Order: sequence, then structure tokens, then C-alpha cells
Amino acid sequence: MTFYLVRRVAIGFFLLLLMSAIFFTLTRVTPGAPVSVGENPRIHQEQVNRRLHSMGLTDPNGKPYTVPESYVRYVVALVHGNLGDSYQYNEPVTTLLMQRLPNSILLLGAALLVALAIGIPLGIYASTHQYSKADMTTSIVSYIGVSIPSFVLGIYLLLIFAVFLKQTPLHWGFPLFGMHTGGVDDPVDLLVHMVLPVTALAILQIAIFSRFMRASMLEVLHQDYIRTARAKGLAVERVNYKHALRNAILPIITLVAIAIPQIVNGAIITEGIFSWPGTGQLAFQAVVDRDYPVILGVVMLVAAGTVFFNLIADVLYAVADPRIRY
Amino acid sequence: MAQVPPLPFGPAAGGLPGVPDQLSVETTVDQERAIVQPGVKSDELAGAPELGFWRLAVIRFFHHRVATGALLILGVIVLAAVVVPVITGNLYSIQDYRHPYKAPFQNLQHILGTDDLGRDELARLLRGARVSLMVGILAVVGYLVIGGGLGALAGYYGGWLDNALMRFTDIIISMPFLLVVIAVTAATGGVRLSTVIIVIAATGWFEIGRLMRAQFLVLREQEFVQAARALGASNTRIILRHILPNALAPIIVSATLGVSGIILLEAALGFLGYSIPPPEPSWGNMLQNFEEYLLSDHTYLVIFPATALVITALAINLVGDGIRDALDPRQR
Repeated sequence: MTFYLVRRVAIGFFLLLLMSAIFFTLTRVTPGAPVSVGENPRIHQEQVNRRLHSMGLTDPNGKPYTVPESYVRYVVALVHGNLGDSYQYNEPVTTLLMQRLPNSILLLGAALLVALAIGIPLGIYASTHQYSKADMTTSIVSYIGVSIPSFVLGIYLLLIFAVFLKQTPLHWGFPLFGMHTGGVDDPVDLLVHMVLPVTALAILQIAIFSRFMRASMLEVLHQDYIRTARAKGLAVERVNYKHALRNAILPIITLVAIAIPQIVNGAIITEGIFSWPGTGQLAFQAVVDRDYPVILGVVMLVAAGTVFFNLIADVLYAVADPRIRY
Repeated sequence: MAQVPPLPFGPAAGGLPGVPDQLSVETTVDQERAIVQPGVKSDELAGAPELGFWRLAVIRFFHHRVATGALLILGVIVLAAVVVPVITGNLYSIQDYRHPYKAPFQNLQHILGTDDLGRDELARLLRGARVSLMVGILAVVGYLVIGGGLGALAGYYGGWLDNALMRFTDIIISMPFLLVVIAVTAATGGVRLSTVIIVIAATGWFEIGRLMRAQFLVLREQEFVQAARALGASNTRIILRHILPNALAPIIVSATLGVSGIILLEAALGFLGYSIPPPEPSWGNMLQNFEEYLLSDHTYLVIFPATALVITALAINLVGDGIRDALDPRQR
């Protein structure tokens, strides 16, 4: 187990390094210079050089770094916890990320919890009542859920609550989006702001979780030991919720680990739509502004998070299921 | 009744004396043809008709009412996207500054109204459908070529290729897909549709790759493959003629569902301004100004593209699931 963990962590670091190399090269070979000379004739070449140097793109003599050189510099800085400066905000990327990260964790965590709290019971119910009306309804709704991307869902939600319900008390006006007021000091206000973005993010995951849970449950319910338990005369509830559920719920751990990058993906646009000041919105804006250090920073953060959560999922899996050995 | 030449081998050869030979006594002309020429339809044979796997699958698919309906809707969308823009020409780009924001369902000239620049919304939607479908189909072809090819080779030969494929998949899976596509698109300079397609194909093929690998891993150990090898078939022949046809069913399902995934991804990219550039409409970039439209109460400009997207994705997913049920009846 210890050896396995060490190996996994080592592989994780290697993956991150490789990924950063790929992304770094991509952002460097992108056409367009960060400081262009031709645009303003009143800017001196000397000023441009100074700016380029301050951005860490040239050495003190004004010679531009080659891609491998600057990548090594980037990695060295990365080890020191420095992700470079944003072109747009003139601030260290780490500062920007740290400002936004708590907001994102709040939103994504809430979305994940809501999805689990609704999706899993829904899937269990659908599987124990296979082909019932409730099962059919769940299937249909989860179908639609999978086919609506979170950004379209976000737009639909805005359409309904901000435009169609304008004359009703249910109206969710535009100033209510994002954390314009209150923040953590005003939990009720915060919750009100979270309802729509959390819904937009959670629906897809609810659909995925409930479908998966249903399939997983059905598979277990058809196994021999379940038949044995039933034949012994155990109560249906006991067989379903004790014998079957324990085995069926295990794969959900992996699914949650897979869901995290998906939610982050959805969050990039959803946070943008709802002006939620998280890392997703930061990435959204960085994409629009072509602010590559920030994009790179977000990618690295997400990748590190994914590697980490996959590791946690595998360990949890081994803890939860004694049959698994590494 | 025609005489059948005695078969060179098999139980019926010659026939036992006194026992009437099945073939020579009871066969009709059609039956003979079916036996002598196996390629000819065997429907007319008495008893249970021998249908092939694919024909049975087609029959099963059309017994599935929802899937058939979805296929019909999809057919209408594809037909409209292919045919209508040819007739209307460049209507989608003709601006009419005197009639911006014309409400939908008011006159026949602009059935779905006009957008902020007075361009016909219906023409733009159909033009956008073209973009979506083209990206979806071409990128999936890319998935199949790259993922299918590499997956098959990795599954069949194993070794370093297999290892490399699995590690690469690990990397891709842990990256935020949207940002990857954006970074690559930006790096290849300028946003063109061809770039978007290539980038999506190059970054999204791994799912089909893994599926294909898993199929090949299982199938290469089976008796019929061993038999083929024992008969001296080359690796190429075994891969293409023996394993591939048997590995196809889940790949087809995954590819179908992949099309809807790509269409949604392309829309998200267009929404962020990283797909086909503005004069050309796509469902994604038509939603770019959604805030403006919502605030000015021109909600139809948001509803139409968003709903077109959802209906198309839903229809493709339903068709895909119908195909899954048809190909693998055990999974129901």
C-alpha cells in the first residue's frame, strides 16, 4: 500500500510536469507578442524592452528567452509557489487564484453535495422500482439533464427567473447574481445567490449519478447472494439497503473523482454567466482577454486537484472494499 | 424439382441407401439457391428466417418507438440544415438595419424574426445547424480514426504502445477539456472551423481509444481468433476481418453519443468566442450576447439557439441509446 501510494504520487507529479510543459509550450507558440511595437509610434523600443523584461520574457540584456529556457524558469518559479503575473491584472496569478478559490470551492462543493444528495437516492429508488412510473420519469429527466450543457441550463434559468417571472415575487433580478453584497458575512444573502448557479451545475451531475446508481444497483440486485438473502426470508428493505447498497455504492467514489473536473469544466462558463467571482470566472475572463499566465495557472490548479482527488478516490476505494489490494 | 449435385462432403454426401436424401428429395429451387449460393437472400426458406446480426439490429431499432421518433427528428434537422441554406443562399448574413429585433411568428418573410442586425433568425439557425453537425460528424470521424486505430493496435499488440496510450489517457482525463481545446486553438493561431475540428478530434479520441483497446484485449484471446491464426491469417487480416467487425457494436454507440458531446462542446467554445468567427453563425456564438438579449427582453434570440442545441443533442442521445439497445439486447 505504501509503495503503491508513493508510486501514485510520483506518477501524479510526473503528469503535472508533462502537462505544464505541453501547456506552457502552447501558450508560448501562440501568435501575437505581449507587447507590440507597431501599435503606438510614441512608445520607445527601450520602454518595450523594459516592459518585456519586467514580464520575465527577456534576460537583463534584452535577449528573449527560448521556450525551453523560459519553461525551466517557469517550473523553478512554480516550485517556489509563483505562477507568474497576469497580463491583465498586473498581479501574481497565485494571488488571483487564492482570492477566487474559496468562492469556487463553496459553489462547486455545494453543487457536488446537492448532486449526491439528490442523485443517489433517486437512482436507488429507480432501481428498486424498476420500470415503475417513477423509474421512467427519472430516466427521462436524467436524459434531458445529460443533453443540456450547463451553460445553456444557466441561460434557461436566467430566462425563467430573471425575465419570465419578472412580475412575480419569484423574480431573481440581475443584481442578485454574483456576490455583489454581503458575502460570507451574510449567509442568507449568500445562499440566495447560490441557488441558481448551484442548480445549473448540479443538474448534469444529478443525471449522471442517478443513472449510474440505478445501473450499479440493478447489477448487484441480480447477483446470487441477493437471491440467497431474499430466499432466507429477509425483509426487502434489509436486502436492498443493506446487502445490495453496500456493494452498489462503491463505484460512486470513483465517479465523484471523475465528476470533479467535469464540474470545474462546467463552472468555467457557469460562473461567467452568473458573475460568480470564482476561479471559473477568472478563467472565463482570461480566455476572453487571452491572459495566458492566468489560463495556465487555472489549468495547473485543476490538474493538480484532479490528480489529488483521483488518488484519494483510489485510496478510499481500497479502504471501503477489502477485496481490493494494491 | 431440379437435381442437386451431391455435396463433396458432409452428412448428406451420397445419402444412405434407403433413407431419402434431404437435399435431393424435398428442396425447392429457392432453397437450393440459398444453399449453393450463401450470399443470396434466405428469407424464402421455410421455417425461421436466418437474419444477420446487423439486420436484426435494424429491426430491433425500429421497434423502439422513442429512438425511431428521435431519428426522424434528427433526419428533419439534418435535411433542413443541408437543403435550406442552399436555397436561401446568403440570407443569413444579409443585414437590414431598418428591421432589427423583429418579433418571431409575425410575418412570413422572417418566420422566426430577426436579430440585432436585422438578419433572418431562421436562416442563421439553419446555417448554425450546419456548423454544429459538420463539426460533430467530422470530429467523430477523427475520434474513430485516431482512437479506433490506436486503441486497436494497443489492444492487439500490447507492449509500449499500450502503456503509452493508457498514460496519455490519464493525462488527458485530468485536464479541463474546455481549457485544453481553447489553449490549443489559440496556439494554432486564429480561430478557424478546421482548427476547431482538428483540435476536438485530437483531444477527445481517448474514450473510443480505451473502448477499442478493451474490446481487442478480450477478443484477441478468443477461439475464433486463435483459429484464424492457426490457419495462417496475417495480423492485419485478423485485426481487420476477424476482430474489428466483432468489436464494432460498442464503438458505434460511443461514436453516436460522441457526436452530441462534440456539438455541445462546440457550442460552448462558440459561446466563449473560440469557434467559427462571428459573421458566420453557430448556435454557440448566437448565444454570446445573451445578457443583452435578456435585459432588452428579446428572449427569442436566446430561446431559439439554446433550444435547437438541446433538441439536437437530445435526439442524438436517444438515437445512440436506441442503437445500444438494438446492438446489445442483453443490456436493457
